[in-house]
Amino acid sequence: MWSALRYRTFSSAVKQPPQPPWLGRSMHNRALYSSSLVSEEQPHNNNNSRSTTTSRRELLNLEEVEKILIDVKADNVQVIPVPKHYDFADYMIVATGRSDWHVRNIAQALIYKVKQKQKGAKRMLLPSVEGQEGGKWIVIDSGSLIIHALDEKVRAYYNLEKLWSSGTSNDEQTQDWDKAFMKIRPKNNSKRPPSRCLNNGV
Amino acid sequence: MIQPQTHLNVADNSGARELMCIRIIGASNRRYAHIGDVIIAVIKEAVPNMPLERSEVVRAVVVRTCKELKRDNGMIIRYDDNAAVVIDQERNPKGTRIFGAIARELRQLHFTKIVSLAPEVL
Repeated sequence: MWSALRYRTFSSAVKQPPQPPWLGRSMHNRALYSSSLVSEEQPHNNNNSRSTTTSRRELLNLEEVEKILIDVKADNVQVIPVPKHYDFADYMIVATGRSDWHVRNIAQALIYKVKQKQKGAKRMLLPSVEGQEGGKWIVIDSGSLIIHALDEKVRAYYNLEKLWSSGTSNDEQTQDWDKAFMKIRPKNNSKRPPSRCLNNGV
Repeated sequence: MIQPQTHLNVADNSGARELMCIRIIGASNRRYAHIGDVIIAVIKEAVPNMPLERSEVVRAVVVRTCKELKRDNGMIIRYDDNAAVVIDQERNPKGTRIFGAIARELRQLHFTKIVSLAPEVL
């Protein structure tokens, strides 16, 4: 199966015109490329997007990661696009494992996939993996994708989805500010400025 | 430049409020810790009714320093305070949320968990 897949990617790569070397790009360029890549991917079919990613030497692809996570039966997979102003990654993928073994297996499967992709290469690029020993929370940091494999309890404890989905953290902050102003108001009432504040608020 | 006896703020919601560095991990006689270094610290002040208490010894990773951090591209980052995040032996953060800006160097030093909890990465 792997050989067939590789063959397909090679053949499509040959068909495509030669591309400029993407290897030496910096962090800032990567965000731009990946955003353009996402917009390209949607109209095209599966095969085409894979060839583009191999030519750019991405460690892992969003579709591949999702497929692997389905294959290893990770529960409750969530893909969270990281807001634009955070440039350290494009997507966060959160998956739950049923046990320590399962969490570790999810990580192993992803690393195996990366190794398979670069089998013939002279220097293998591997993603950085954290928390491999514990098996409670393993993070695989493959550049634009950050994959979190968590235990069920740990996932509930850290609640990464709430932090990253739709900028709820910002909402919380604004709410806190509102409360802070509410507390300050009676203290400032004795002076002039707060009346102006009240008018603005209304 | 964090050395033993330096007081640090806590940049997470673990329940500690102030730490004092007592040891820097890495070498036998290391003088200073910088951003991304693990230190051993004592909790000097804690929030009531939280799992961490005063005078407890914890590990922490330095995330902000008043001493400037230089990057290869000439950028210099200097914060207003010294701050650390409480971690455990496996480098998992004790708290669930991190406050304030965090330097990107932490990701290269394999603290991606902390970076992914942070609200802002410089």
